[in-house]
Amino acid sequence: MHVDEFLDPKILIVSGKGGVGKTTVAAALALVAARHGRKVCMAEIDRKGTLPKLFGGGEVTYEPRELSPGVWGLNIIPEDALAEYLRVQYHMSRISRVFRSTHFVDYITTAAPGLKDILVLGKIWYLEQDRDHGGGAHGFDTIIVDAPAAGHMATFLKAPQGLADAVRLGPVRRQSEWLNDMLTDPKRSRVHLVSLAEEIPASETLETSEALDKELGISQGAVFANAVYSRLLMDEEADEFERIAADGKIDELCDVAKASGINLDDDDLGALHGYARFLKARRNIQSQHLRKLSRGVTQPVMELPFLFSAGLALPDIETLADVIEEQMETL
Amino acid sequence: MSAARARLNPIGEIVDHKEIVVCAGSGGVGKTTTAAAIALQAALDGKKVAVLTIDPAKRLASSLGLKELTNEPSKVSKRKFTSAGLEMKGELWALMLDTKTTFDEVVTRYAPSPEQAERILENRFYRNISSTLSGTQEYMAMEKLYELHADGAYDIIVIDTPPTRNALDFLDAPRRLTDFFESRVLRWFLMPYMKAGGGIFRVANVAATTFLRVVKRIIGGDVLQDTAEFFSNLEGMYDGFKERAREVSALLQSDATSFVIVTSPGEDSVMEATFFAARLNEAGLPFGALIVNRVHPKLGDGVDVKPRQLTKLEKQGDQGQLLAKLIDNEEAFMRVVRLEEKNLNALARKIPKHRWVRVPYLEQEAVDFAGLSLIADKLFEA
Ligand SMILES: Nc1ncnc2c1ncn2[C@@H]1O[C@H](COP(=O)(O)OP(=O)(O)O)[C@@H](O)[C@H]1O
Ligand SMILES: [Mg+2]
Repeated sequence: MHVDEFLDPKILIVSGKGGVGKTTVAAALALVAARHGRKVCMAEIDRKGTLPKLFGGGEVTYEPRELSPGVWGLNIIPEDALAEYLRVQYHMSRISRVFRSTHFVDYITTAAPGLKDILVLGKIWYLEQDRDHGGGAHGFDTIIVDAPAAGHMATFLKAPQGLADAVRLGPVRRQSEWLNDMLTDPKRSRVHLVSLAEEIPASETLETSEALDKELGISQGAVFANAVYSRLLMDEEADEFERIAADGKIDELCDVAKASGINLDDDDLGALHGYARFLKARRNIQSQHLRKLSRGVTQPVMELPFLFSAGLALPDIETLADVIEEQMETL
Repeated sequence: MSAARARLNPIGEIVDHKEIVVCAGSGGVGKTTTAAAIALQAALDGKKVAVLTIDPAKRLASSLGLKELTNEPSKVSKRKFTSAGLEMKGELWALMLDTKTTFDEVVTRYAPSPEQAERILENRFYRNISSTLSGTQEYMAMEKLYELHADGAYDIIVIDTPPTRNALDFLDAPRRLTDFFESRVLRWFLMPYMKAGGGIFRVANVAATTFLRVVKRIIGGDVLQDTAEFFSNLEGMYDGFKERAREVSALLQSDATSFVIVTSPGEDSVMEATFFAARLNEAGLPFGALIVNRVHPKLGDGVDVKPRQLTKLEKQGDQGQLLAKLIDNEEAFMRVVRLEEKNLNALARKIPKHRWVRVPYLEQEAVDFAGLSLIADKLFEA
């Protein structure tokens, strides 16, 4: 598949269970898009996220800011989104303090469940339509949404439908229909799911994928199976080592090492053995869930490597972006 | 297990002496599994245990041999233990928080009359609260905990906490909810909808009316009506709520309770755990232990090899190549181990190491009964 096709819709929604690497994968996708000349906006939703840290610090606010060349970031805070909405819709330029109070936003989103999600999606719509509300139009080519954790994701994406059903007439009804159109048009939006190759996240990914398909009719791109241990050592090689140890021929190996100036003591041998076993055991578990994922979804499953580096920073995200690009070609 | 264990292991000590164990930590670190494993071990030890889970994975019920988990405790069959070769001297009961049902019970309890309770329960705004208003789930978890404890039927209650992104959220939840109900802002703008005294609508100032007009356009007039009714019906119940909230926090602060912080060795979750420990302290809540879950095992001290030596080794035939790969693999894992240690060191300054328990990243998944009991073994190991 050509990269352009993969990155086609303007809105890429990245979701998955908390802690599986959503933000990390979203950032890698952003780099891929930026490498292909796109002006990218990464949207975090209502949180002090990990995004700024990945790009070397600073803060991400409601106003988009360039984090690295071609990659911008913003944090969609519902309170701010409400203020923008009221300003645009009702020309309330001096937003009353009441509207900004947390109690009020809590109230209004409880009175009309889903409204918070609508406000967030509404901001994404503004970005997609490139509406200039005073901050200047940005002209983003790609908008990557670091979406709420999978559990809340269906509710999040279903919000416009829900509100459209609840409100029969008027501007709000019309606007929720616009949002629903935005989400269900495969030329405009696509969801990428991030998972780990482990029981609980993989099962949840399958459920989410099915719900997206059946209940929401939202187009899906890839499932990213994140943090898969690499094949630094194949199972057969681990087995070979076990055999040598069982045959009492470890000394031969130690002699080979010594010839290269390496002295291996018993602790070292224990560690080599232990980590070989650990890798094999975890990879077994991962393979099992990778199979389950591939069988369970129609979209491609992309494996992303577990990164053994000391802390994830921009170079690591670049590595993940490389891997994504490579795999995109073979799709 | 014995007194010897209790002295050596912080989790063992907690289980031996406390009535309530609260497992807290940021999302995705394994709180639910940890809570279940602690409960399982306590039951093995001979206690009558209830474990209150929140949003558990679907597999949890079946791994305990239950069809489903509900808002009322279900007993885990003794057979589950015997078939795993374990002798269980106590009882294990498991439940899953149902926020809505618990809230309904609270309303029924505090409403001055059954009619008033009915009016609230049927109110549309009220019905949205349990699914939508943030803080509700946390508040109801505490409520359910209080109820189970007051019931007196259990020796020990282990409770999981909601999967907030922020581990601190649930500490603030009860406060947040009662504040919301008493919000002056809401009262101010709902004023025109509230019946004052003799049932006459009192129109507030112009600002409130303008404001109301906008809100009405967004959410509709009948919704406003519903909420105004909800808030009027709630009058007279605040004192009950607040009194209960006070009792709950007194219980959490008491000697009977212990907070266990669960973290992964990842940087974000460690940072979260550090804040959380400080907050517990500020709030006068009893900290019991830190569980570091899924730590990569540390095997050896790192093989001492220079890149030049490794290149040479690779040229030494099949055996040399095999060895080079084994060393590569070992070095990769050691990098992760060192990184995790570095992350965790930040915590050591806040929480003394003797209150720590590490659960290694296992070579198997903890998704069935055997897995849970393996985690329990690791948790209670000295
Ligand atoms: N491929 C990977 N290899 C190693 N660690 C990873 C990888 N992807 C993510 N992580 C780590 O996992 C943790 C959670 O990642 P993050 O992207 O913040 O998750 P989420 O956004 O889903 O909560 C972080 O500490 C991150 O550094
Ligand atoms: Mg994230």
